[in-house]
Amino acid sequence: MATTATISIASDIVPGFGGINESMTLTQAGTLTDIDSTTGFARRKLSATGAVDLVTMANELVEPKDSVAAKIYIRNIGYKGVIDKSVGVTIGVNAEPIGLLYGGDWMMMPLTCIDADDITANPATDDTVVIEYVMFFEEA
Amino acid sequence: MATTTAAVTLTSDLLSDNMSVSASTTCVKAGTTADGLTQMEYGYVEVATGDEYDLIATTPTASKASKLYVKNHSTDETYYIAITQNTQAIGRLYGGDWMFIPADFHDAAADIAITSNGGTNKIEYALFHEGTVLVTT
Repeated sequence: MATTATISIASDIVPGFGGINESMTLTQAGTLTDIDSTTGFARRKLSATGAVDLVTMANELVEPKDSVAAKIYIRNIGYKGVIDKSVGVTIGVNAEPIGLLYGGDWMMMPLTCIDADDITANPATDDTVVIEYVMFFEEA
Repeated sequence: MATTTAAVTLTSDLLSDNMSVSASTTCVKAGTTADGLTQMEYGYVEVATGDEYDLIATTPTASKASKLYVKNHSTDETYYIAITQNTQAIGRLYGGDWMFIPADFHDAAADIAITSNGGTNKIEYALFHEGTVLVTT
């Protein structure tokens, strides 16, 4: 079993920048063994400002192992096919704002999975937006 | 106008029905719909074990749009860097791992910092942004 993620970045900001094309296989910490657990793919519809938990670490049905090699993928997919690039949702970890995912933006981030380090989403406006996400982790 | 795009393909066979997700986004300035990011910082550093270091030497202005890519090119799978923002632990990137996050650097303390573990880690990073607070000499 394997979980892989490939990123491709292209940019013409600087002439001569050849882009970035990298792949990774998600493995358990410090080993070449494939990562073994996932929350599965989920969507969350948000229609008001105010931070909500996307992932509440203490409430996961399968307890994630702390401080190892967990990852989360999150994307702002807009609402009903309409993606507004000018409006974003702030993704946070344990109340620390990491950054704004504007319409269509995605992120892949490592996680500690410590109980206090919940993953939050806080829309910038009351416009309805849907966030999709999936977490990969090691079972404690 | 500059254009920066970031695409990802994510596959997994952990579930009964194999998962395959593809997404692509054009990185634009905050509050705009098509005005692309115009500046970037691209580097490669070797970080010895020990102290915590800021990966980004300059701080983009808060409330603007930034995207940060970091990859650990260490070939030893036991090596890793611990990543923090504003003292909040984010997670670990082991040898071969990468991450791609929005980074709004909401205050002067919200730098991205890394600590090397296991041995000297080889780190590639790219910050795409729309403005930097330059430091006068």
